[in-house]
Amino acid sequence: MPDIEPFSPRGMFHEGWTAEVNDYAIACGWALKGKQFIVGDVAGGIFAFEGDTGKIIWEKENTHSGGLLAMAIHPEGEIFATSGQDGNVQICNCHEGKVIKTLDLGKGWVEHLKWSNDGLFLAIASSKKVYVFNEIGEEKWISEDHPSTVSAITWSNKNELATACYGRVTFFDIVNNKTNQKLEWQGSLVSMELSPDGDIVACGSQDNSVHFWRRSTGMDAEMTGYPGKPSHLSFDDSGKLLATSGSERITVWSFIGNGPEGTMPGELCHHTEPISSLAFSNKGMLVASGSRDGSVVASFLKNDGNGDPVGAAFAGDLVGAISWRPDDCALAAVNAKGVVNVWKFKVRTNLFSKGFK
Amino acid sequence: MSIKDKVPVTILTGFLGSGKTTLLNRILSEEHGKRIAVIENEYGEVGIDQGLVINADEEVFEMSNGCICCTVRGDLIRVLGNLMKRRDKFDYVLVETTGLADPGPVAQTFFMDEEISSEFTLDGIVTLVDAAHIDQQLGRSDESSEQVAFADVLVLNKTDLVSDDALNTLESRLRDMNRMTRIIRAENAKVPIETVLNLSAFDLDQILKRRPTFLEPEYPFEWTGVYDLDAGKYELMLEEGPDPEMSLVALANQGESEEELKDGAESSVRLYAEKANSLDPGNTIPYGEHINLKLEDKGNKSFILNIEKQTKIGLFTQHTAEEFNMKVIKSDESKEIPFNTERFWQAEHEHDDEVGSIAIERFGDVDPEKLNTWMGRLLSEKGVDIFRTKGFISYLGNPRRIVFQGVHMLFTAQPDKEWGNEPRRNQLVFIGRNLNEKEMQEGFDKCLI
Repeated sequence: MPDIEPFSPRGMFHEGWTAEVNDYAIACGWALKGKQFIVGDVAGGIFAFEGDTGKIIWEKENTHSGGLLAMAIHPEGEIFATSGQDGNVQICNCHEGKVIKTLDLGKGWVEHLKWSNDGLFLAIASSKKVYVFNEIGEEKWISEDHPSTVSAITWSNKNELATACYGRVTFFDIVNNKTNQKLEWQGSLVSMELSPDGDIVACGSQDNSVHFWRRSTGMDAEMTGYPGKPSHLSFDDSGKLLATSGSERITVWSFIGNGPEGTMPGELCHHTEPISSLAFSNKGMLVASGSRDGSVVASFLKNDGNGDPVGAAFAGDLVGAISWRPDDCALAAVNAKGVVNVWKFKVRTNLFSKGFK
Repeated sequence: MSIKDKVPVTILTGFLGSGKTTLLNRILSEEHGKRIAVIENEYGEVGIDQGLVINADEEVFEMSNGCICCTVRGDLIRVLGNLMKRRDKFDYVLVETTGLADPGPVAQTFFMDEEISSEFTLDGIVTLVDAAHIDQQLGRSDESSEQVAFADVLVLNKTDLVSDDALNTLESRLRDMNRMTRIIRAENAKVPIETVLNLSAFDLDQILKRRPTFLEPEYPFEWTGVYDLDAGKYELMLEEGPDPEMSLVALANQGESEEELKDGAESSVRLYAEKANSLDPGNTIPYGEHINLKLEDKGNKSFILNIEKQTKIGLFTQHTAEEFNMKVIKSDESKEIPFNTERFWQAEHEHDDEVGSIAIERFGDVDPEKLNTWMGRLLSEKGVDIFRTKGFISYLGNPRRIVFQGVHMLFTAQPDKEWGNEPRRNQLVFIGRNLNEKEMQEGFDKCLI
């Protein structure tokens, strides 16, 4: 196999850089097309590092009194939004970290932020309400009160927002202020992911199960047997595989053929403690997982959801968040001690220059 | 993570106006060296002065299986999930629920959610009751009796507004509902801080230390006196008392050690189960029979005790000797013979409330498999009505005692300290609604080896 390059002992993870932030790191993401890596800690510190070297570019503290709860980087990578216990959302510039706009949403915690794929809208969940603002912080839409605190939000297409809470998932057309669809089920939904085409809705539930709906057919299914609640879900970019947390194993459901109903899921047993973060690469069937035990593993998956590890590293403590660089050539993990690890993820062959296909 | 590394959580419940916020402020303002994070569901009333305070609306999440034992509090999961990332900021958590909160889901959250139970441990449930109003509240709402049933500590607050007699009656009513709780009387929620924080309340040892008799069964008699009598004729003299009649069992050869007294009590319980024969004054008291002394007449009444040769007589009486000024007199000398030993028993009485406690105490070992089967069935059938369970179990062949604790259907069993020289035994307490004591005791007995 002449086209395979030699690897260092760490498998696919190669020496990158490490850095530290001031507190438990809860959010991270790549900005400026991978040139910058931004980390947020639980106390409200935000830190921007050079993507290649880890050199600090700017940092700021106490951005949200009471602490930071969420961070989302705009798809273009020039601006990002943060939110916290103070009920505020800040839209900031990535280059200097300057606040462009502060949105005051009242007293409730602001727990979830999501930019739409085209970057025109920012969805914000605070207590029982969901808000949509545009890039410059103008309010475009507000939901009615949900039956409970909103636990997850995600965009299904450019104008349609999905929200999850106790007992239901709702799809809102935020431009025409319409409710497009309600999927009801008695259970506390703690996480939600949509397949890239928006048809499959997957939710982790407090009762240690994953619930699926197919919007086109209205069919739904419940996958039970998890030891813990599946708080972390990730679809691959083709929508064939859904990786789920809920124990120290990664359970992968395959939607190929008639699955996953009636099929056995793939199981990846690489960690000794429960999974605390999970992310598919931007392209290809490569899933990265972080665990409470501090380990980070990347696995290459097959169509049935099973697969093999292709690289692993120790991040030092509970992995709070994990993020692939937009070109999939680096993987970042931040931990509960505030340590940032970035590994270069080397391509395997000369034929495929980016990640795996 | 061991239990020592987990952050202890105290739950504060009680009806609106019972003084929760006053107690909370007192705890926060006192010097106790703890950094306390407060999760507050009750807004208004009195503000909280200091500390890390997080307001959250109560969100009760039932599961799709419809099982109330799986119901959890979503707001606590969210807030505690955030707090666990800020462990350096606090070392204790207090949750103040609303007055109408059902403590079940709050407690269950610490068992049901793996992320929460891996970081936090439920230290205790403290319920405040307004001494002046709790009687009516108990009649009107399930929440109120459930808050009493779940409590590890009951703070009987505002005692200055109620007479001592009324407090005693109230305390015994509350004690009936929850036998393992510790009751503390207070004015203006003024209680020593160590009585509400760091209780390790699930620790049954501590309860037994405080009240060694709380596991004791109830007896149909309140008192036993053992009299050392020579051969001869004696009279049992009684004055007027609270009842026009009194049940009694007299046993010959009654020993005075605790073990012998308990043996005697067991025999008497069996005799008490038989129909009593009425006995008018002046007649002779037979031994080993359930009799009913007729005491309607005014003044002193006397019954005869015949002793053929020196023996110790045990009198197991429905009421205490004091209540009738009961005396044993040697007939020919008119001399009172005092008892050698007396023993008071936990008396059986009417239980008015639906909510009550059942204690099971048995020496010996149990078969773990049989116990699991029995417990599993009991909790799946009655889990809704069983609020709390605590206990120690002796598993056959296991050198350690097993500690049980549960909330509704949820149950944990963990090995605890070694038995050593202690006699091996089983002690279980159930608190719940409309529990069938006899059935549960029989069920448990079948698990014994």
